[in-house]
Amino acid sequence: MEEKRFFATLRVKAMANAAITLQDIVDKTSDLPTLPAAALKVMREVESPHSNASTIGNLLSVDQSLSVRVLRLANSAFYGLNRQVKDLNEAVVILGMKTVKNLAMVAATYPWMSRPVKGYNLGPRQMWCHAFGTAVGAQLVAKMSKACREDIAFTTGLLHDIGKVALSVWVENKIQAISYYATREGIPFDAAERKILGFDHCQVGGYLGEKWNLPEEVVLAIKHHHDPDSLMPDVPPVVDCVHVGNYLTMAMGFGLGGDGLLYGVSEESLARLGLSSAELDEIMDEFVGSYERYEELFGELTAA
Amino acid sequence: MATAQQLMVGMADIKTAKSGATFTCLGLGSCIGLAAFDRESGVAGMIHIMLPEAFKDKPVEKAGKFADTGIVAMLDEMFRLGANPSRLVMAYAGGAQVFKFGNPSSTTLDVGLRNSAAVEKILKAKGFRVLGIDIGGPNGRTVTYEQATGIIKVRTVNGGEKVLCNLKG
Repeated sequence: MEEKRFFATLRVKAMANAAITLQDIVDKTSDLPTLPAAALKVMREVESPHSNASTIGNLLSVDQSLSVRVLRLANSAFYGLNRQVKDLNEAVVILGMKTVKNLAMVAATYPWMSRPVKGYNLGPRQMWCHAFGTAVGAQLVAKMSKACREDIAFTTGLLHDIGKVALSVWVENKIQAISYYATREGIPFDAAERKILGFDHCQVGGYLGEKWNLPEEVVLAIKHHHDPDSLMPDVPPVVDCVHVGNYLTMAMGFGLGGDGLLYGVSEESLARLGLSSAELDEIMDEFVGSYERYEELFGELTAA
Repeated sequence: MATAQQLMVGMADIKTAKSGATFTCLGLGSCIGLAAFDRESGVAGMIHIMLPEAFKDKPVEKAGKFADTGIVAMLDEMFRLGANPSRLVMAYAGGAQVFKFGNPSSTTLDVGLRNSAAVEKILKAKGFRVLGIDIGGPNGRTVTYEQATGIIKVRTVNGGEKVLCNLKG
């Protein structure tokens, strides 16, 4: 009886969502995540053959709040510099463009990623733990496999679940029903989202990424972080790095919400990266240590 | 009434107490939270295991990280506090699993299953009585063990809280 009522509710909710499109999600969500223009420009500038400390510093300096955060992070004990970094150009020279880009992305996403994502049953900082964990995990996978640039794997890992933040308000009070449906049907959570909502959080994130004009491979990784094999035969290595990084983060229990571990994991992904099971265990071992070291950095952000 | 000592058992941690502690393993994914109790001395312990076995070619920085080194280390700590190995009772939870595409019989990406199997094997080999097991499935778990009452509770995001067992009998 209870099950009947449950599925009746589910159907009503599904019908209520039937007319909603990805465009609606972006247009009608009042609390949509944003990336400061300066962070996006830095992300693109790093890829330019003409970029240097000065161009990166100048782009960042336009956004005072972001600049202050980046400087605070650069001066944190995490980097162990023996003198204080006073301006952005200096931060870029000392830490490198790619590190400063990642700091800018961390500083730009922390304010909204650390908030609760109620729709997915994620409390304060839980989304952040998961996103940052995936960034660290994807970076380690990239380092071990040498399949793609570590900084790109980091940034993409950080952004992989932005769709959840956007979709949160639309799935509030429905997460349990979606999980139940996925378990009952024996399908991954993202497949259940597609069945019930018409799209999943990966597609919403990818759509948002396109709106932000993120690099194509970053958008692809956001869209396919749960199903990298669907891009075969040409799977960009960053997609596999984020897929495996996300698996590590879920396995370690970092920021698990109502969707838990209800996701698929592809052994093909691991094979494409040329990683063995033993190497994955090694990454997992290193992963927790790296994450803990980064916690020092979190402290700086909280204080900022 | 004395307040219970709150012991957070973080990843790879081993925590033990003579009395009055409440142990918590927060947000277990594929990891295992294993609790042990000596009914006579009252000594209790808990460990948060991440991986089934230590690497043969790497030094072990934190014994609690691995099932093979961690369980032995926790028992050693408990014995130092006065526990007797023949009286120990145990319970464990965690070892959540993800879906697998491709070859479902492969355990390469199933650290939850490998962790559970390793713990089971070690406890069986040592002959310990296991009073409660809650493993597998897709949900993250938080495990709380209250030493004074012996009650072990398991909470999941969607399933709420349930009593797994009582180590006091």
